[in-house]
Amino acid sequence: MLWHKAWLETRWRFLIGMALLFIMACSVVLTYHTVQQLMPLASSVSRQGGALGRLVGEAAAIESTYRGYVWWQWFRQNLCQAWVLFALLLGTGGLTLQGTRGGALYTLSLPVSRTRLLAVRASTGLAELAVLAFIPSGVITVLSPVIAQSYGVGDVLVHGVCLFLAGSVVFCLTVFLSTHFADAWTPALLTLIVVVVLAAAEFVAPALAPYGLFRTMSGESYLLHGTLPWAGLIVSVMVSAVLLLAADRNLRARDF
Amino acid sequence: MADRLTIEITDLRKRYGAVDALCGLTFGVPAGSIYGFLGRNGAGKTTAIKILLGMTRPDAGEVRVFGLAATNESASLDIRRRIAFVSEEKDLYDYMTVDEIIRFTSSFYPSWRGDLAARYRRTFDLPADRKVKALSRGTRTKLALLLSLCRGAELLILDEPTSGLDPAVSEEALQALVSYVDSVETTVFFSSHQIAEVDQIADHVTIIDKGSAIVQGALDDVRERYRRVQLVFDGDAPVVAFRAPGVVRVRREHRMLTVVSSAGADEIVNEARALNPASVTVSPLTLKDIFLDTVTKEN
Repeated sequence: MLWHKAWLETRWRFLIGMALLFIMACSVVLTYHTVQQLMPLASSVSRQGGALGRLVGEAAAIESTYRGYVWWQWFRQNLCQAWVLFALLLGTGGLTLQGTRGGALYTLSLPVSRTRLLAVRASTGLAELAVLAFIPSGVITVLSPVIAQSYGVGDVLVHGVCLFLAGSVVFCLTVFLSTHFADAWTPALLTLIVVVVLAAAEFVAPALAPYGLFRTMSGESYLLHGTLPWAGLIVSVMVSAVLLLAADRNLRARDF
Repeated sequence: MADRLTIEITDLRKRYGAVDALCGLTFGVPAGSIYGFLGRNGAGKTTAIKILLGMTRPDAGEVRVFGLAATNESASLDIRRRIAFVSEEKDLYDYMTVDEIIRFTSSFYPSWRGDLAARYRRTFDLPADRKVKALSRGTRTKLALLLSLCRGAELLILDEPTSGLDPAVSEEALQALVSYVDSVETTVFFSSHQIAEVDQIADHVTIIDKGSAIVQGALDDVRERYRRVQLVFDGDAPVVAFRAPGVVRVRREHRMLTVVSSAGADEIVNEARALNPASVTVSPLTLKDIFLDTVTKEN
């Protein structure tokens, strides 16, 4: 029943995320031909040089194939950004927040350890995020034949795994911060700041790219070289585990 | 059974910043008793209850429930399997319906009394499909009581169970509690700042003030021990320091000297005779008098 409780507490955030990502996935497929018609314009912009020109040129080169287009538009941009937002939203809440809004004392009076309460909440959030990482992407595979294209299930699975494993750091960081702060917005805001800093660091220091959060989440190395970003994935999983352990330690030490 | 203690609290201390919430609180709750934990708002009642339930850690002292250390994580789990708790705010899950929260709670207690739950739901007129957030405070209290009474718990811990309720709902809740305790073998430990409520249903009491127990024992014994001795003099009452044990308070007003004692009146009366009062009157104290005299004295 703890699982049911965790589901009831997060279901609207999850369902809204699902609906939004579903619509975005459909629009990525259905706007493919329109974007292709704009490609000559992109080539002329890239010829003007500069940072923007290089970026547009890089995008145009990758998006010359349907597989590249889906990766750039979906896994690198739309899904990556929206998924991070919902990882952050699903990570907020929990006992510390309930302590100020009611319900926490009732939960704590039940014969359940705080570790188990946190484990159920984190597992539910991670399961919902896994669904958000794979199912909307699956829509692209299903819908692609409508525009006479195809997108492999294998690509959906590989990019989904990269997104989920690396992006879980965002969720775990929010869960950890939620055991510190008794309101919903401070953990979300702090996580957002960390995410923005990490994204900026990747942009400013390309040497960090193999370990960069967003590069790892998008699975860029798989698209370009056919290899998984193992270093980034391993680091991400380890950071997530440490954050969850720290959250457990925090929660167990907390007075309600 | 009365010799066995369900709750043993020894020299319990807890400080929040610069505020001492508990300062050496010590008392024991006999098994099978209805134990009133009386104190003003902010006296430390809720802090003590949270420590009993493992929600808050004490800075010092020992807390045992069923002989198990409440501060030990795994022992606290065992303790919570055997107790039921109703918080002052009746904090429940707003997003669940009445039926959902009953099913949710029942899943944690193998000895859950489904028959009793159905009976209380009818008696309390609880709407099965209504969300908790849509319930009035009175109805939420009744639901919280149902959830605690049906667990088959050996110990009920109730923090201000009738706080914020109108007198009719308050009486209904107390009656439900009393009839439950009559039908099963259980210990009830309830905090309150409402003296009449404790007087009505408790058989033991601790009065707590500023984090320490200032009165404790079986309610009949407490009533028996506490006496008010009024001495009236022909002229102004003398300033006296009584040597008799148990003097709680001495009040001097014009010709009258009032002494409150927690150890009977005999020794005070003997000592007072030497002062040649015009009259000596000894009267028993109600729980309200005891509360006001002890707590007011402390403040």
